[in-house]
Amino acid sequence: MSASIPAPRPADAHWDAGDLGCGDLVLELRVCLEAMRPGQILRLTARDLGAQADIPAWCRMTGHTLIAERHPTYHIRRKES
Amino acid sequence: MANRFCVNLTHAKDNPDKATVGFVIANAALGSGKETLVFLSIEGVRLAQKGYADDIREEGFAPLRELMDNFAKAGGTIYACSPCFKKRKLDENNLVPGATIVGGVKLVEFLSEGSPCVSY
Repeated sequence: MSASIPAPRPADAHWDAGDLGCGDLVLELRVCLEAMRPGQILRLTARDLGAQADIPAWCRMTGHTLIAERHPTYHIRRKES
Repeated sequence: MANRFCVNLTHAKDNPDKATVGFVIANAALGSGKETLVFLSIEGVRLAQKGYADDIREEGFAPLRELMDNFAKAGGTIYACSPCFKKRKLDENNLVPGATIVGGVKLVEFLSEGSPCVSY
């Protein structure tokens, strides 16, 4: 589940979601990414156990790109539009 | 016709009849060739703990432990709702075979790709 991908270039922003999980996590994550410019990278720290399964699924559904993951750290590139 | 099937199960020992029937239906879905997910939430997350279901035996049905073992052996997937799991202070290192702790996003993804869902 925690298969890792090499760390990307330095992130443009960091959000520590702490123990937030499930709907609370992705709702705030959406707001976070919407505040960024297309192509920018967010480094997310999400300690909730469900994040390991949820963050990749959320990226698949929303079109943002998960470019690196090593729980609890995730690098997400904001989609173009 | 969808090739997936989801059973949303919200009960454990608080309603062993529903907990048992949930897995009976899930096994029927698997046996019918469906990619099958059991989503455990609310009290249902307790079923994700190894040993918990061992003494649940509803009259007229196979023991729940046996139903769950058969489900896992046949390739069924069990998701346990993360906040429900955390609220009950359950042990993430003592999960039954086939179970994964997830947030609601994984359920949303599974259903969004096209799946009927029945709730117990």
